[in-house]
Amino acid sequence: MSILDYKEGTVNLLMGNEAISRGALEAGVRVVAGYPGTPSSEIIENLAKVADKSGIYVEWSVNEKVSLEVAAAGSFAGLRSMCVMKQNGVNVASDFLLHLALSGTRGGMVLVPCDDPGAISSVNEGESRHFARMLELPLIEPGDFQEARDMIKWAFELSEKIHNVVVMRSVTRLSHASGNVKVGALPVNENKAYFSFGSHLLDPLNGPVITAPVPMRHRQQQDKLKVIAEIFETSEFNKYTGPEKPELLIITSSACNLYSMEAVNILGLDKRVGILKLGTTYPLPEKLVKKHVDAAGAVLFVEEVLPFIEDLTRIAAAAWGDVAHKQYHGKYDGSIPTVNELNPDIIINALAKITGIEYRAVSEEYEKKGTILSFTGAPNRELTFCPGCPHRASYWSIHNALSLNGKGGFVCGDIGCYTMGILGAGFGAIKTAHAMGSGTGVASGFGKLGQFGMEQKAVAVCGDSTFFHAVMPALVNAVHVQSDMMLVVFDNRGTAMTGFQPHPGTENDAMGNVVNAIDIESICRAIGADVHVADPFDLAATTEKVLDLVENKSGARVLIMKQSCALSPEKKGKKKYEMSVDESKCRGENCGCNRFCTKVFRCPGLVWNRDKGVSMIDSVICAGCGVCHGICPAGAITREEARV
Amino acid sequence: MIRDPYNIIITGVGGQGNVMAARIIGNMLALRGFYVTIGETFGASQRGGSVMSHLRVSEKSAWSPQIPKGRADLVVALEPIESLRVMAQYGNTETAVVSNTRPVYPVGVICGDQKYPSMDELNGSLKQLCSNINFIDATEEAIRLGNPILSNVIMIGAVAGLGVLPVDDSDFEKVMSSNVPAGKLGINMEGYKLGKKLAGG
Amino acid sequence: MQVFGPKELQSDVLQKNLCAGCGACVSLCPYFKTHKGRTAAMFQCTRESGRCNAYCPKTGVDLDRLSATVFNGTYAGDAIGNFKAVYVSQKGSSAGNGNVQNGGTVSALMQFALKSGAVDSAVLTGRKGAVSVPEIVTDPGKVFSYASSKYSTSPVVAGFNKAAAEGYAKIGFVGTPCAVTAMAKIRSNPTELADFSDKTGIVVGLFCTWALDTWGVEKTLKDKLDLASLQRVDIPPPPADVMTFTNIHKDVMLPLDEIRASIPLACAYCHDMTAEFADISVGALEIDGGKNRNVIIIRTDRGEKLYKDAVAAGYITGEPLPAGVMDGLSKASMNKKIRAFTRLSDEKMLNGDAERPAVIINAPALGKIMNSKGGM
Repeated sequence: MSILDYKEGTVNLLMGNEAISRGALEAGVRVVAGYPGTPSSEIIENLAKVADKSGIYVEWSVNEKVSLEVAAAGSFAGLRSMCVMKQNGVNVASDFLLHLALSGTRGGMVLVPCDDPGAISSVNEGESRHFARMLELPLIEPGDFQEARDMIKWAFELSEKIHNVVVMRSVTRLSHASGNVKVGALPVNENKAYFSFGSHLLDPLNGPVITAPVPMRHRQQQDKLKVIAEIFETSEFNKYTGPEKPELLIITSSACNLYSMEAVNILGLDKRVGILKLGTTYPLPEKLVKKHVDAAGAVLFVEEVLPFIEDLTRIAAAAWGDVAHKQYHGKYDGSIPTVNELNPDIIINALAKITGIEYRAVSEEYEKKGTILSFTGAPNRELTFCPGCPHRASYWSIHNALSLNGKGGFVCGDIGCYTMGILGAGFGAIKTAHAMGSGTGVASGFGKLGQFGMEQKAVAVCGDSTFFHAVMPALVNAVHVQSDMMLVVFDNRGTAMTGFQPHPGTENDAMGNVVNAIDIESICRAIGADVHVADPFDLAATTEKVLDLVENKSGARVLIMKQSCALSPEKKGKKKYEMSVDESKCRGENCGCNRFCTKVFRCPGLVWNRDKGVSMIDSVICAGCGVCHGICPAGAITREEARV
Repeated sequence: MIRDPYNIIITGVGGQGNVMAARIIGNMLALRGFYVTIGETFGASQRGGSVMSHLRVSEKSAWSPQIPKGRADLVVALEPIESLRVMAQYGNTETAVVSNTRPVYPVGVICGDQKYPSMDELNGSLKQLCSNINFIDATEEAIRLGNPILSNVIMIGAVAGLGVLPVDDSDFEKVMSSNVPAGKLGINMEGYKLGKKLAGG
Repeated sequence: MQVFGPKELQSDVLQKNLCAGCGACVSLCPYFKTHKGRTAAMFQCTRESGRCNAYCPKTGVDLDRLSATVFNGTYAGDAIGNFKAVYVSQKGSSAGNGNVQNGGTVSALMQFALKSGAVDSAVLTGRKGAVSVPEIVTDPGKVFSYASSKYSTSPVVAGFNKAAAEGYAKIGFVGTPCAVTAMAKIRSNPTELADFSDKTGIVVGLFCTWALDTWGVEKTLKDKLDLASLQRVDIPPPPADVMTFTNIHKDVMLPLDEIRASIPLACAYCHDMTAEFADISVGALEIDGGKNRNVIIIRTDRGEKLYKDAVAAGYITGEPLPAGVMDGLSKASMNKKIRAFTRLSDEKMLNGDAERPAVIINAPALGKIMNSKGGM
């Protein structure tokens, strides 16, 4: 099944991201670019799959900023273009976005950031909404799955009306949720790409696309926003449901709309509480909001994560005279939390408190029993690397080398599966973890602290995709300033975390075409780093290499760990070795081992046999990488080349 | 259906095909004209963690992709102990449970640091929370049919067999025919019907 | 006596910087390893009791128990420990040649022990640049290539653990007092292993006032000498007050005060100068013209037998001790004891003062030491 297979006019169960892809295709999008990141990745994946058949161009770019630039080029040439990323990607793209917002666009251009309140698959819960306000761009937010499809189409029209970028924000609970969506027709596009710049400098539509003169362009941008504000006042995506004069008005947007409806329904408050769901959140449709606030007794803002609609409303309300003096509930009075994602229960509890209703989801007895039973009877599932994952082996060597060095060395982490190096899975090696590429930049800084007596060695790690995304400038910096640091590149041949998207180091692009693969090793050498390569599955040699590089070398050095992801198509389901445990040699829990393999190495393929007091291999789970052979102090874990 | 929305939680461990199972059941109901909302949790949880799909079925409208606490009507556990975890958070005394009997051991259990309960112990725990509990040897039966991957289809059959959802065999057949190659439809139908029988349907 | 585990070993010794780097806890399991003369805890082992702690010479050293193991007696607090005889010695005409420190007595003894079958292997300390590396030697012809003092901490007990694991049953061992204390602990079977047997053939102790931390030496000499080809380290007799480091190209002399910064903290807590729990202890003869001779202390029956056989076979010589040598040796040794026990006592690491004492010593012996005022 692909997004092309849904027939016009039919209702289908679509994931939010699928609805966005399909809507964009129906809108006639031609150029699509982005960088992988949960929960946004499927939007581009769905479009990449049908790129050939639909005659569109889809690209996984090196990072979010470049993806926005690539999409902008499509727009400058008169085509509809879309750019997709996760929330923090907008930070990366924001420098270009600031300028793009000023220069304006040509063909309809939509930026789709997918936020992740609660950081379900992130290491932050940043919000893209605030960028719309800061950079003065229109912001719309679908409130359900049908709207995800409908609003993206509308977004292109809006963009072409004002010749500027429109931001359509999704969240995890829409992008990664599914609902019924009625789809429309797919257009035939034939307009040719042409960049028109022949007119004079000040012509925004046929002159060069630039930001100067800045005050003039800035004024034009703000005028466009005023046009949009008027359109938003009457948008069908702003919906009110509830009594004419509600006791309490909920103002909400996005997935919070669904939580609010649920909460009102469960508490039976539909005669007392109204919901104003905003699809257009910046600029705020002030007149519409004022009208509803005016009719209500009090207001509750329900939104994720920081106050946005609430702030805009409160600021606007300052000029509303009497209307301003309502009771406002939301982030500032603590009714709604300012961290983490929301859910129906949070809104139920907030509503119950405000309206004075008693609510218990289940009896106290049930709740108590459930908590105890699940705590004692359902052992928790700690996250770990897959069996056969090269990261476990890499961290083993890094951890051991730093422990032997004994000077309190540590790993500056980065973003990918290997971020789990914070946990037992990576032997707790990671001690800093922030944004893409930051591990290397932070290590570059640590590497200059020797003059202040710092003897601890900083080792940065990054994945192959991350290397291209943001590590390269940091490495250039480290080499240039002769920082005493080391970068370990976990080259597992793909963007593994988000589902094996290609990157500049792979031989294929998003659409499956054969393209130029860029060699990380050569880049590092060209930058001037001291470059080495290791096979992480050879634990002894790799540990020695890491230790030698940490201890005996100075300046920026790079070690590239080459071993494909265990889930990569070339490896999945294929065992290199058949592993077994010689029970006569296994020392079990005795002094000299104390279950070293199962307690410390902790590969899911190694199982502790309580009855026999020995370790064993679960041949169903074991990926046959052979690495554990090298860790057994008694030599009890044996490996044999697997027969093909 | 006994309630609107009718709330189903499909739970299991990353990599078990939880999302696919939710989509099949969801599509069967969507074909019948119901509003279906599915909320999924994946991402880092794929790496050995617990995963859940929340399925909301309604004749009236779309619902929140997150089921409120205590509001699950049916819990489908592709992995046994996940049923208990979900029941504690989302269940109530009226919730029906259908659970596979084949464990996927957490790393802590594999490593010998934690203990995995026996099916009798698990059943005892669940019985303190609700009474409608159905254990299905889905993985064992799937292996007997020739492929452990069929266990999810058997579990879907078992859900149908409970008779709480307004779906029939043809809905399953329609959905599966657009999801699997034609040659695989037969064995999937067989698995589905077996699951239905095992659940007394 | 209760034997503690790796957690206590880390908190009582490693984290307090009291590790002597002897390697007693190494080569037993994957949790402790040695690197450049230092012991590293690789992972946290959860055992409540283990050999790592039981063998460590820096915690739970019960002097009576060790005396019982080696001498079948109690600890008396004598200046140079329990002994049968003391001689002046040097290598004899039958022994090989090499880069010996003083009289070559130790190398000659071990060469003879291997040749005569008194031991089936010898754990000796070699040198890789500035790093001391223990090795298992079975060829008597190679013994002299391990000659000369290293003056840096050596994980030589790890070498013994390795040799024992490899099946050697009469192992010749050469080490400084801390390593010899560890050996005595190992020989006392503290963890009550059911299949225990004493795998030492002979334990030869080296006199020691302090050793140097390899990392400190490397740091101090980094820009002064290529340490990769380091051959010899020596302290010329007073009043030179320097230490010389020699590689294949040149000598570097450093004031002793400068090099003292690299003495591990552990040495400040050491009360043993003459390796009292060895079968035989050997040191430099520190009198004028004594550069090429050693003092040799014979402590046990098997030590006495090896000494006599080696003399008879012409591997070493044996002469009476010149007047005054014993006095000087005893005084220096007693001074080290007083310093160490004062410190251990002040820091509540002795006997019942500590939950897990570093050293357990009987009251009469402690009284004898503290009242000796450095003389005999």
